[in-house]
Amino acid sequence: MLRARDVSHAYGDIVSLREVSLDLDEGEILCLLGPSGCGKTTLLRIIAGLETEYKGVIALEGEDIKPIPAHKRGFGLMFQDFALFPHLSVAENIAYGLKRLGMKREAIGEEVRSLMRRVGLADLDERDVASLSGGQQQRVALARSLAPNPRLLMLDEPLGSLDAQLRDALALELRRIVKSAGLSAIYVTHDHREAYAVADRIAVMNTGRVYQHDAPRDLYRRPRCEFVARFLGMTNVFPKSDSRILDLLGRTEAWRRSTGSILIHPAGIELSDDMDSSALRIESVVESAVFRGGFTEVTVLTESELRLSFALADLPVSVGDKMGISVRRDSIIPLNDSLV
Amino acid sequence: MMRRVRELWIGIYLIPLAFLSLFYVYPLLSILDVSLRPTGALDLSGFARLLSTDYYLGTLLFTVYQAVLSTAFTLLLATPCAFVFARYRIPGKSLLLSLATLPFVLPTVVVALAFASLLGKNGLLNDLTRTLFSLDYSPIQLERTLAMIIIVHVFYNFAVALRIMTSYWSSVGIAAEEAARCLGADEWALWREIRLPLIRPALLSAGALVFIFSFTSFGVILILGGIRFATLEVQIYYQAVNMFNLPLAAALSLVQILSMLAMLMFYTSTQKKLHLALASGKTIARQARSGLERLGVGSCVALISALLFAPLFALVSRSVLLAGRLDFSNYGSLAEKSRGSLLFIAPLDAVFNSLRFALIALIAALVLGLIASYLIQRPGRLSRLADPLFMLPLATSAVTLGFGFIIALDEPPLNLRASWLIIPISHTLVALPFVVRSVLPSLRAIPPSLREAARVLGAKPMDMLLTIDLPLLGRGIVVGATFAFTVSMGEFGASLFVAQRESVTIPVVIYRLLGDPGMASYRQALAMSVVLMIVCAGGFIIIERMRVAGVGEF
Repeated sequence: MLRARDVSHAYGDIVSLREVSLDLDEGEILCLLGPSGCGKTTLLRIIAGLETEYKGVIALEGEDIKPIPAHKRGFGLMFQDFALFPHLSVAENIAYGLKRLGMKREAIGEEVRSLMRRVGLADLDERDVASLSGGQQQRVALARSLAPNPRLLMLDEPLGSLDAQLRDALALELRRIVKSAGLSAIYVTHDHREAYAVADRIAVMNTGRVYQHDAPRDLYRRPRCEFVARFLGMTNVFPKSDSRILDLLGRTEAWRRSTGSILIHPAGIELSDDMDSSALRIESVVESAVFRGGFTEVTVLTESELRLSFALADLPVSVGDKMGISVRRDSIIPLNDSLV
Repeated sequence: MMRRVRELWIGIYLIPLAFLSLFYVYPLLSILDVSLRPTGALDLSGFARLLSTDYYLGTLLFTVYQAVLSTAFTLLLATPCAFVFARYRIPGKSLLLSLATLPFVLPTVVVALAFASLLGKNGLLNDLTRTLFSLDYSPIQLERTLAMIIIVHVFYNFAVALRIMTSYWSSVGIAAEEAARCLGADEWALWREIRLPLIRPALLSAGALVFIFSFTSFGVILILGGIRFATLEVQIYYQAVNMFNLPLAAALSLVQILSMLAMLMFYTSTQKKLHLALASGKTIARQARSGLERLGVGSCVALISALLFAPLFALVSRSVLLAGRLDFSNYGSLAEKSRGSLLFIAPLDAVFNSLRFALIALIAALVLGLIASYLIQRPGRLSRLADPLFMLPLATSAVTLGFGFIIALDEPPLNLRASWLIIPISHTLVALPFVVRSVLPSLRAIPPSLREAARVLGAKPMDMLLTIDLPLLGRGIVVGATFAFTVSMGEFGASLFVAQRESVTIPVVIYRLLGDPGMASYRQALAMSVVLMIVCAGGFIIIERMRVAGVGEF
């Protein structure tokens, strides 16, 4: 429904977007994932109509939206700091967009009540927004952006200012609410775990570019370049030219297809105990072992002096232990350094 | 359409800039012109006379001398009080601190008269001592002395210094002091080596501010001192109005403007250091325990109360007591012009004048101040220049402004000299910085995301102004409006120049009444002063309530 083609933008001399192209399908949740300053929020603001100086085309159902001012686009935007109106009550905040549509008072009241039930805020309507907890404020902000029934909902780090525990629970709930409303949504975050939980598709951004654009599972399994792999928390990345990696793997297909470096996917590393011929067997010594609750995070040094990290199901391991590990061949992944 | 909107905004932004150019920059340039080119060609003889004549040099020296004395005495009293306020829990402390700022909004004529009623030859204190000790002479002889002027300056500036130092002292904390104590410092060493050096920035900043206020003091000195104690301000007034020596007055004004600029630069530099240290803000106040501590707290509260209430009480009591009995005839007589008075109108008419001018000044300063605040708050280099620009009237003495008005606006195309409009215009100019200072913090406190949220939710620019900006600016606007009204009601220096005949205001009438012979006029002046005091105190209450409640609002 929404197509962005070659969108570029700069704040003065600082380039924030470089020829970004993206598609959003009807009813889909697209995540823009990237570190701060990667341009994801700028892209959101451009789509919302809050930034108007940009090159390229953004079209909604085939129609260029550039000439439409922000207040006539009918999009919903949930701000990172929620931007609740401090002088209005919870109900008045939610009703704000409905009033602008010129709805009748009774209809607004009914709509606000139903929204508050949907986001789990019943009985808070007359409360002062300043007296709400972070999680409650987040719900008010969501209800407010949902109220005018937007064609497109955008969420800018909506869980960013909440504590970790609340985040996991609310991410799922957000997805449920957005999906049940049948909305198309763009969700901005810097947390890949949050993106996995919420998104149908994820676009990983850095320095104003989209590096990869995939479904969460595909993104996790096959990162396409070093930046994406590292941003998703994978550290077993080695330059193709490193002789140790050649010693270990030989000139495999993955090695040949890579134009920059090689990722040994942590999900493909395990303790070797059987005679799986599709796996590569390596002797190593445990360098560090951090107990993380359900699993232990292990870093080993192989005979060829490569440092590999992976998660090990609960098993007592100590530093200095000798350990035979196996690496599945399909988890040796070529990474491209030239961009998409 | 976007372009039309932008052009409209630029047009609106130009209004306060045009106002400032016409009624501030142009008059000041006229002063420059008259002082440097009195006859059309460059002629510095005015300055030569200024510098070669002992008399005028004496004026300048005296201005500095009295300001130094005022500053020294203010700090001498305020420093220990600030220490007590910062360190000890005192019941009603915040109320007392807030009440202590009342003088800030009291017009100079009122305060001068209040002190005359308290400490004058026939003042309350002399009456009391005469009755108590059955004396047949007045033991307190302060009329027309420098001491009287200094006392009034201390009254005006005490709270300013107290507030700055109390908040700074509270923020400095006591860790350094406790460390020094452990290292063997006694009480005397604590003061000399820890406390005073630590609050040096606050001391400097408060000192600079008090010095500036005392340096530009006009009404107090004109009424309580007269030409014998002429400061630069008073001298400018005398030369311009009594001697018609405009070039000399202009030359003096120029000296005044330059000194103000230098002092303000110094003050701003002290302020920067002050803000750096104000980051932490934990309260260190505790209960006063020892007898000495209690004595300190007690004398502090007593001093502040006495300084604040004694003169105001004296003023009110003088105005309603006649030969020891309650008598409101002073107030009744305000409706008529007393015989022998040089006034053109009855005092009560001046009340209506003042109200009318204050209302106009309020509306004008509010509209201009709101636009100016939006202009200042915009990103960009021009806006950063606009901020100090709109503070300039505050940094220019009222007498200089009034003088500039009469030499600049007295000929076509802009001849306002004879029009009453010149009064509310001058008041608007004086009130403008107060409005900007009241509105701007609220405006800056509105996060940009609020407006963006409203826009995305479908708010048109006008909706945004009405549903977001104005409600959030509410308190700032009320405080600014009240300031504008109170400032206009009490404005003296500029009004004395520009208010003529029928269009005189309350402060001007009080001053003229004091010049009239006879007790009837004097009593009328007392009654007028009480009326003005009540109006300004009312404004003060509104300002304090809205301001205190406004802290931490968003």
